[in-house]
Amino acid sequence: MKIWRTCICFTLALILWVFFYDELVQVMQQWLPIRGKLLMRTPLYELAFQHMLLAGLTTAMSLITALTMAVMVRISSNPELESSLLSLATMGQSLPSAVIIALAVPVLGYGNGPVALALYLYGILPILRNAIAGFRMLPSAVVQAAKGMGMSGIQSLWYVDLPLIWPLVVAGLRTALVVNISAATIGATVGAGGLGVPIMAGIRTRDFILLFQGSGAVLLMALWADSLLNTWQHRRSY
Amino acid sequence: MSIIEGSVTIKGLVKFYGQHMALDGVDLDVPAGCCMVLLGPSGCGKSTLLKTINRLLPYDKGSIYLGQLPIEAFNPTELRRSMGYGIQGVGLFPHYTVAENIGIVPHLLKWSKARIDMRTEALMQLTELPVNYLAKYPKELSGGEAQRVGVARALAADPPILLMDEPFGAVDPLTREKLQTAFIDIQKQLKKTVLFVTHDVDEAARIGERIAIMQSGKVLKDAKPEAYLDKSLDPFIYRFLGREFPLSLLSRYTLNDFVAWAIKSHVIAAGTVANDGLQSLKSVLATMLTHEDTTYSMAVAKGSTESVSFESFRAFILEVTK
Ligand SMILES: Nc1ncnc2c1ncn2[C@@H]1O[C@H](COP(=O)(O)OP(=O)(O)OP(=O)(O)O)[C@@H](O)[C@H]1O
Ligand SMILES: [Mg+2]
Repeated sequence: MKIWRTCICFTLALILWVFFYDELVQVMQQWLPIRGKLLMRTPLYELAFQHMLLAGLTTAMSLITALTMAVMVRISSNPELESSLLSLATMGQSLPSAVIIALAVPVLGYGNGPVALALYLYGILPILRNAIAGFRMLPSAVVQAAKGMGMSGIQSLWYVDLPLIWPLVVAGLRTALVVNISAATIGATVGAGGLGVPIMAGIRTRDFILLFQGSGAVLLMALWADSLLNTWQHRRSY
Repeated sequence: MSIIEGSVTIKGLVKFYGQHMALDGVDLDVPAGCCMVLLGPSGCGKSTLLKTINRLLPYDKGSIYLGQLPIEAFNPTELRRSMGYGIQGVGLFPHYTVAENIGIVPHLLKWSKARIDMRTEALMQLTELPVNYLAKYPKELSGGEAQRVGVARALAADPPILLMDEPFGAVDPLTREKLQTAFIDIQKQLKKTVLFVTHDVDEAARIGERIAIMQSGKVLKDAKPEAYLDKSLDPFIYRFLGREFPLSLLSRYTLNDFVAWAIKSHVIAAGTVANDGLQSLKSVLATMLTHEDTTYSMAVAKGSTESVSFESFRAFILEVTK
């Protein structure tokens, strides 16, 4: 119950922030420092939507990739495959995003492409690591029972293994999504949309109100996504 | 290849785990409808034997026949679906309700939902679980209840062969006895071919139609429980069964068994009915030991009582264990 309440609170806070920040600034204008005339071409809610889409879609791709890798490791039960996939994913995460973006711009051009690539690579490791740990921790009696009852490999994976590791996978997904929501802001440096746009503009023009607008939205979006997945994770724990 | 006949015949079965020889030439013949108890110390290969029969593990030498066919003639998953397997440690699926756990093999066999529901409820009755437990999750069950569900799950698709790996381990003696009684009743009704693993001598004596004694990967002896009263037993078997084994054996018989014998051999008058006839002779003996006289009183149909002496009980035991 409490988990749900937190989630609803963050949802409301995010909506209010995204739709009514400008109104609030106008009301409070007399107490705020005088700002230069500023034209933000894209409304904040649209930027927030772009941001959500960017982080969400890339993390979803990471989820699919990580799950595929983990299932491959599970089916092959090959420790070498496991360690090489894990180190590959670690590499993906330990490369500074600035480097990935810089390397990707010549190939993918300006815009959302390079940052999407960086976020995608970032998201894989936490999910993969949790999924593999989950498979390892499955109680052997349960795994044996599944096989002993006459489930095929695919059936046991679908009916037993995946549902049982799901809470751990969602925990990894939470980490990945939160990191990606905050990391997606860097995309604005190479022409991607999202909440990085007002942040960069705010930094360039030393407009703290604008900077605050963007970073507050990122913060609330991260908290919202985290609490949303938290409800999902806790709905399924045994 | 899905018609599985009840008998299980194992010949010269050898199984290695790497260097370790877990099964060292097992020979065992389980006739259809027989409850064979596998009894042996920890690590002697009981679970391994069950797993090879179920094709959960490959073996290195020897053969396993179901009826006339070697197990290789069957598709492994189909084979497993037609053997009820009660795994050591129960292994209920934690994310499924009791009903879903019990219904898993019927579900895999694509039974209709109505049929699965009916079957599940019948099994709840058979294993004496309250029907409102159907919606519970395994973590909400006590150890004994979980083991009942495990037995019900193994019985679900009405398989001709049951492999039970210590299905009643880890419960208190009273619950254990109840589960055993329930199992004996079920087996009387269903007449499955059962391989029942335990390392509890009392349990083996109580449940087994035959007992196979295993030691370090071999079946040393396979015989009716009464045959183990033989004085010329292998010293390991004698030590493993313990000196109290004759007492354990008494729990196979109820007072009603005794009364039937006693009437037939004119020890007591015809028409005698035992009070509490379902109790085991072991408990009758216990009662006699704690009473002052060496007789046991039973009601007779006319309303009077008849006393039975300790000697008659002994005569019965000597007779049935001959
Ligand atoms: N997966 C495995 N890998 C290697 N050795 C194993 C494996 N499983 C069992 N063993 C060994 O094989 C032997 C037989 O094991 P098994 O599980 O069949 O014993 P058990 O008779 O069922 O014992 P318990 O009564 O304790 O359950 C033991 O010595 C055990 O250490
Ligand atoms: Mg065992």
